[in-house]
Amino acid sequence: MGLAFWHRIGSPLDAPLVAGPVKRCDVKAAAITGVDFPKVRPVLAVAKGDAVHAGDVLFRDRAHPEICWVAPLSGIVDSIDFAPRRMLSSVVIAADQGEREPPRRKVDVSTAAALRATLLERGLWPAFQSRPFGHVPDPGESPDAILIVATETEPWAPDPMIALQDRKDLFAKGAQALTLLTGGPVHLCLPSGHGLGTIAGARLRTTEVAGRHPEGLAGTHLRRLGLGATGGPVWTIGYQDVVAVGHLLETGEFLPERIISIGGPNCSKPRLVQTVIGGRIADLAAGAAEPEAARAISGSVFSGRESAWLGYRHRQISLIARVATASQGRRRDRTGGDGPSALVPTSRLEAGLPFGLPVVPLLRALAVGDAEAAERLGCRDLIEEDVALLSALCTSGADYGPLLRRVLDELEDSA
Amino acid sequence: MRSLAASGYRQGPPFVRLALTPGAVTLVQIAALLPPVMATLYQTGFAGAQAAAALAAVTLVWEGAFALIRHRALTWNSATTALILLVMLPGTVPVWQLALAASFGVVLAELVFGGRGFGFANAAVVSLAFLIFSFPGSGIAANTPLVAASTLPGAMALILTGLVSWRVLISAFAALAFSVTLSTGEADLVVLLTAIAFALLFLVADPLAAASTNLGRWVYGLLVGGLAIFFDTGAGSAPSLNALVFAALLGSIFAPLIDHLVVMAMVAWRRRKRG
Repeated sequence: MGLAFWHRIGSPLDAPLVAGPVKRCDVKAAAITGVDFPKVRPVLAVAKGDAVHAGDVLFRDRAHPEICWVAPLSGIVDSIDFAPRRMLSSVVIAADQGEREPPRRKVDVSTAAALRATLLERGLWPAFQSRPFGHVPDPGESPDAILIVATETEPWAPDPMIALQDRKDLFAKGAQALTLLTGGPVHLCLPSGHGLGTIAGARLRTTEVAGRHPEGLAGTHLRRLGLGATGGPVWTIGYQDVVAVGHLLETGEFLPERIISIGGPNCSKPRLVQTVIGGRIADLAAGAAEPEAARAISGSVFSGRESAWLGYRHRQISLIARVATASQGRRRDRTGGDGPSALVPTSRLEAGLPFGLPVVPLLRALAVGDAEAAERLGCRDLIEEDVALLSALCTSGADYGPLLRRVLDELEDSA
Repeated sequence: MRSLAASGYRQGPPFVRLALTPGAVTLVQIAALLPPVMATLYQTGFAGAQAAAALAAVTLVWEGAFALIRHRALTWNSATTALILLVMLPGTVPVWQLALAASFGVVLAELVFGGRGFGFANAAVVSLAFLIFSFPGSGIAANTPLVAASTLPGAMALILTGLVSWRVLISAFAALAFSVTLSTGEADLVVLLTAIAFALLFLVADPLAAASTNLGRWVYGLLVGGLAIFFDTGAGSAPSLNALVFAALLGSIFAPLIDHLVVMAMVAWRRRKRG
């Protein structure tokens, strides 16, 4: 109960996954953005104006020089920007017309250490996210489990089976290889009725998931499988990144291509396109909607952000209405007063966070920045995308993503 | 009515809003209150209209005063308080007592905390408790069957929008029915429901006063239902509304504690499960 049926009509929660033919879209530029990797201070391996191949190292993490980020497309380094405190803002690569042979190197994955070194050196390491806290894992870290998330439930997300059906072998190869990185299980979270057949492997477990958002989120799988919390770190990785791992092992080549969806309430014809990591959104969304009428955001309408570049882990671009600037300054809701709006503990909020976490106490703890209480309530296993739906369901209109990050930062510093 | 739209897309994160704004919450509550208010005015005539005018004036003055002092926009949240008081006290008490009680509730339960949603008790409950304490003998009007019946559409709307938890309604009603059966030997559920429907929906099940965890909502309902019987002096087919008001007041004071205990229990249970 609690989810009002008239709220559901036209609600983004009912938006279907985007399927259909995949069109190739060549972007004129792509970027690695720092927003996706908070706390990373880069040590640059290239300078502005350098020519790079797709797969060439762009920069390394100062704290862990083994971790590197590679160019998603061949071209010229167009700009390198820093955020405050020498954090990364963005490294932009402008596509070059000339096709060049990408660097192919033989990969050695005979041992766990060799696979680790390969993934680190070939730029696939940043695809992992380690919980708690959701950072790129330490190169030496051994996780309790690895979660491969091949479920999409965000509105207008791409149907994962479209990307996987032709790459089933690469996906299986990548998934099997990942078992070398952990002593625990590798969980494959697949949508029910996926039709991929069985992917066999020691310590490879398949979980089939059905249901609406937030059932497909990594955080939901984590709780369903009883991982995280008091245990050791758990890594999560997206299905297309696993395909990239398989591709690297198969061909020795870095696979920067990703299949993403372009959809949203202001997109008349949602569609799938094949592009590269960090592709320029202006190029991708061109023709999908009138730029004056719609805004393109990277990610879903819940957890996305306004950005010029596709987020490193984002698999969709959402087009939403451009609110007229004239009405921006005017408060539409006079009753909210001028301070923060009140949190009315409606029973709809419980639908936003599964597995019986105490939602309202958690939101209150996040709102006041009470790290101790939030930790007790189970916030360690969450990252921004897990609370994004709550921000939409809460009467206060607060964005709980940054509030959660502030609390996580505090917990991390005090650890 | 823009804020009532199914999903408003917004300028910046969160880009989509599936929840009602606090103002729209009040609007839904007012809409739910209108049928019982109409029924009351229909039945009481001039006395009811007089009380309505007094309540409107008092709440408007206080809302305006606090908006001025705090440099905030005027809100209409107190309208729900006024409408609830109108249904429960339709001209049965002198207007000055009504005005005093409404002022007490609106100011001390809501406005001094910064408005609706920042206090801990329902303003109408506080008003009624003040009235019962200060002017003994001023009884709350018993619900007529017409008022009770007119509560139904509002109840449906509030439950469907999630503004009232069905868990609270069911557990409180179950506790009341159980205790009435214990004390009198039999319980006429229809008589009981008629007597308490309005107060149960608008006083006890107020989301801001009730507990806010699902388990806590069950406990809160049971507590309020049990306390209402405990406070009730005369045995009858239904507890007096005076007792229910105090039960709701005490329940809302205990609600944060209930939530705290529920969370502690959940954390302990999770720890034990993990070993």
